[in-house]
Amino acid sequence: MKKAIMRLVEFSINRPKLVVFLTIIVTLLFAIQFPKIRIDTDPENMLKADEPIRVFHKNVKKEFGIEEMIVLGIAREDGIFHKDSLERIKRISDGILRIKGVIADDVMSLTVTNNVVGMDGTLNVRPPMVDVPETDAEIERLRKEVLDNPLFKDRIVSSDGKGSSIYVPIESKDIAHEIGEKIKVLYKKENGPERYYLAGLPIAEDTFGSEMFVQMGLTAPMAGVLLMIVFFIIFRRISFVVPPMMVAMLSVAWTMGGLIGSGFTVHIMSSMIPVFLMPIAICETVHILSDFYEKLPQVNDRKKAILAVFDELVKPLFFAPITTAVGFADLALADIPPVKVFGIFIAIGIVIAWFLSMTFLPALLMLIKEKRPIVKEETGSKVLGWIGRFSLGKSMAVVLTGAILLAISAYGITTLKVNDNPVKWFKSHHPIRVADRELNKLIGGTYISYLVLESEAEDEIKKPEVMGYMEALQKHLETNPIVGKTTSIVDVVKRVNYVLHDEDQRSQILPKDQNTTGQYLFLFLMSSSPDELDHFVDYTYQKANIWVQLKSGDNRDMTAVVEDVENYIKGNPLPDGIKVQWSGLPFLNITWQKLMVNGMLKATIGTWWVVFLLMVLQFRSIWWGIVGMLPLVFAVVFSYGLIGFIGKEYDMPIAVCSTLALGLGDDFAIHFISRFRQRFRETKELKQAMELTMGGEPALAIFRNALVVGLGFFPMVMATLTPYVTVGLFFGALAFFSGVTTLIFLPALIGSFKKVLLKI
Amino acid sequence: MRMIRTLFLIGAFLFLGFSKICSAQEGFSAQEVIAKSRLAFFYAANDMRVKISMELINQNGHKRVRELTMLRKDYEDGGEQKYFMYFHKPADVKDTTFMVYKYPDKDDDRWLFIPAIDLVKRIAANDKFSSFVGSDFTYEDVSGRKPEEDTHHLLRKEVLNDNNCFVIESIPRGKAEYTKRISWMDENNFLPLKEEFYDKQNELYRQFEAQEVKEINGIMTITKRVMRNLKTGHRTEVVFQEVEYNSGITDDIFSERYLRKAPMEWVK
Repeated sequence: MKKAIMRLVEFSINRPKLVVFLTIIVTLLFAIQFPKIRIDTDPENMLKADEPIRVFHKNVKKEFGIEEMIVLGIAREDGIFHKDSLERIKRISDGILRIKGVIADDVMSLTVTNNVVGMDGTLNVRPPMVDVPETDAEIERLRKEVLDNPLFKDRIVSSDGKGSSIYVPIESKDIAHEIGEKIKVLYKKENGPERYYLAGLPIAEDTFGSEMFVQMGLTAPMAGVLLMIVFFIIFRRISFVVPPMMVAMLSVAWTMGGLIGSGFTVHIMSSMIPVFLMPIAICETVHILSDFYEKLPQVNDRKKAILAVFDELVKPLFFAPITTAVGFADLALADIPPVKVFGIFIAIGIVIAWFLSMTFLPALLMLIKEKRPIVKEETGSKVLGWIGRFSLGKSMAVVLTGAILLAISAYGITTLKVNDNPVKWFKSHHPIRVADRELNKLIGGTYISYLVLESEAEDEIKKPEVMGYMEALQKHLETNPIVGKTTSIVDVVKRVNYVLHDEDQRSQILPKDQNTTGQYLFLFLMSSSPDELDHFVDYTYQKANIWVQLKSGDNRDMTAVVEDVENYIKGNPLPDGIKVQWSGLPFLNITWQKLMVNGMLKATIGTWWVVFLLMVLQFRSIWWGIVGMLPLVFAVVFSYGLIGFIGKEYDMPIAVCSTLALGLGDDFAIHFISRFRQRFRETKELKQAMELTMGGEPALAIFRNALVVGLGFFPMVMATLTPYVTVGLFFGALAFFSGVTTLIFLPALIGSFKKVLLKI
Repeated sequence: MRMIRTLFLIGAFLFLGFSKICSAQEGFSAQEVIAKSRLAFFYAANDMRVKISMELINQNGHKRVRELTMLRKDYEDGGEQKYFMYFHKPADVKDTTFMVYKYPDKDDDRWLFIPAIDLVKRIAANDKFSSFVGSDFTYEDVSGRKPEEDTHHLLRKEVLNDNNCFVIESIPRGKAEYTKRISWMDENNFLPLKEEFYDKQNELYRQFEAQEVKEINGIMTITKRVMRNLKTGHRTEVVFQEVEYNSGITDDIFSERYLRKAPMEWVK
């Protein structure tokens, strides 16, 4: 094994130009795959296509003719019931109906959604505002008509009359951003006192997609540039900056080229592959370079120095990345398709980075002409040497301190709140977040969930006991502060009853028998389009759909509403033969959150076992395996404990980050332990071996890695999308804690448990 | 020289004369075809009695069935008409009746009787474009539209299922449910065999098709028709059974009294 790798290295330093040339050719092959990129921003794809809840959601959408919806809110401080505002609403609605990709038939607005009204003894089914009212009296009549009506109030017009919304169903989610831009053009032409808010999950998701592109294209290279600067500041040498960056970027290019070329879509998860891969690839090269520049002054021959470096490092340089790669590959066992792709391609990327470090890197080192003499780094090593002596000397105290910190952090973890909300993937001042906030103040909620009642026979829904149950359930739901509005077939039937009885308040109730309900619905359908009721009932009246509008897209809030309904049903049993089931994007989101949290936890634990076994194998000792795992455990527990204490919610990006700890933590630990043991074998003396490890190149390389990774990804904090911000911040914390635990606690642990570890 | 000029003039006259005769043989202007079609389709005979079965089918293939008897009486060709409808199905709306007075120059009058609460309610006719009893047909599709409301233009002649047809494009002059309509009118009986409706996005969204034409009492009648909404995937299939013409439907049928208690001898 070692021989084979050494031959690879020898070949590369003997034929450096050829190796560099071949590397460029292969890179070009991968680079030409890039234009084939397909972006996928649909959080639904976090679930497998055949996941039962997803299949049900699809059926509900088909059955009830529900499309993805964009919501446009139009607000005016002194109310929208002014002639000019109403004219604008009319113009904008008309404009929206003409946009291609908008399902014009299903648009909901003051001008197109049918209302049932009685006027001069005549029953009238028509939109409240077919033509803009001329006189104040007509405007007042319009205002009364909609605010008096549960089918419009808090849904299409806010209860204080200050805003109106237009619900725009679109043919597919991936045109949401484009249609949103066309709607913007429509309202930007108007110059009145109104404010406009464009919201809805499809817009958020699609905008996220287009911004993801920007982030990938901007933040990742920015991180790269900053990494180079940090490198240069630390090492003061261009020859130290270029090779690691080249290896990191080529690994990313090959991996992403491979991913795109093999037909996978770039999902939110896989878009983070470059960001994860870079530090892992860089760590490898920093070890090689640190050792190289330590050995070069001693032998003064590049070829000999490189051979000496690889002779010493081949084992840890092989085991550390392979362990990490196997760990990531283990994510393929997770039940979440994007996580599988993510895990597998990071593993592939790590192997590529390792391969490039064994071939392209030594070739590059041969070609670089060094002009300045190499000076040994002194200060860093002195400090690290001192830390090593301190930790070893006061080993028990240090270990104890670590244990206490661990306990505190573990408590922090118990305070973690699991929550996510795709709209919150945008920063708080982003137009989408602003629109979302304002619109949810204005109307009953932009997060639309569906509660579906299913029966076994046709026409069951029209039965008085079923209608009555729905009415009571809706009443209960509306007492929940998160629920802004509920609408169902019950509201339509009640409205018809009310209008037929000359708008007598006492008749705003459900009829007592099924035939009356049937005839009311028939009457309603006689004067409206055939699919007018499709959003509320299926075609054979076997299923009914209650629209539950939530004011918050937080998974935690949706979960609370779901529990609320469960409890209600326990206390108030459903009518015979009726079943209920949730659907809609908010419900889908809590489902994948559950899968994600549990799935990631399971996958991570599984991965840790694999890493542990690999460490035991390569150290040929259970005890060393345990000690090797500890920096990982520390880093993760500290980081998550910190998140718990800060009060940040545990969301998708944070869950993903836990796997990153693995990549960094085990690299540091494997290098430290294997090189310490090498030195211990040579010196047979604990203090001296530790001095050589901590005061010498190994600790310095680890320290440099921690510094580079921690600082280098800081620009991500400036990204407009919070998952990138989170990952950037978390990188810092993880790198810092992994470095600290490796460099401070490992010497202390080795000192404390020298009997079992070193048999002395 | 003079000879040549004379011959040329004769030739020119002959040519013009022929073309004039030809266009006469071609028949009618687009406007005339549309007017004739309206009479053939909506004003056949003086009265009509028919049992209609209507299937409303959504994109998932689920069906809602309407079964009704319709009585129609004309008061003037191309002018006033009265309709009376009695619903047999669906079961929970049995005995519901519906009556329409159609006027050429003003909004319809419509009344509905709701048996469950024993109430006759006038229903507003805001526009002729709303759906007819929840089907894909609009009221206008069922009772016709005045030819003057559109600008008509003969696009071409075409053979459609072995029938020679005029293909006419109609663009509304005022407010309408469609932005463009293209109709295939049978040259022999002027019945519309196919119609295409374009929406505000200028996309084809509704399509009418006559699927069966039969001669009944000497009158060519479309007995099977379908209207498809291409945007929603919804369609309505209509079958005419027991068609009778000129059976002498009396005026008093079209009254509130019969609305409350349907004339069983007519609607059975």
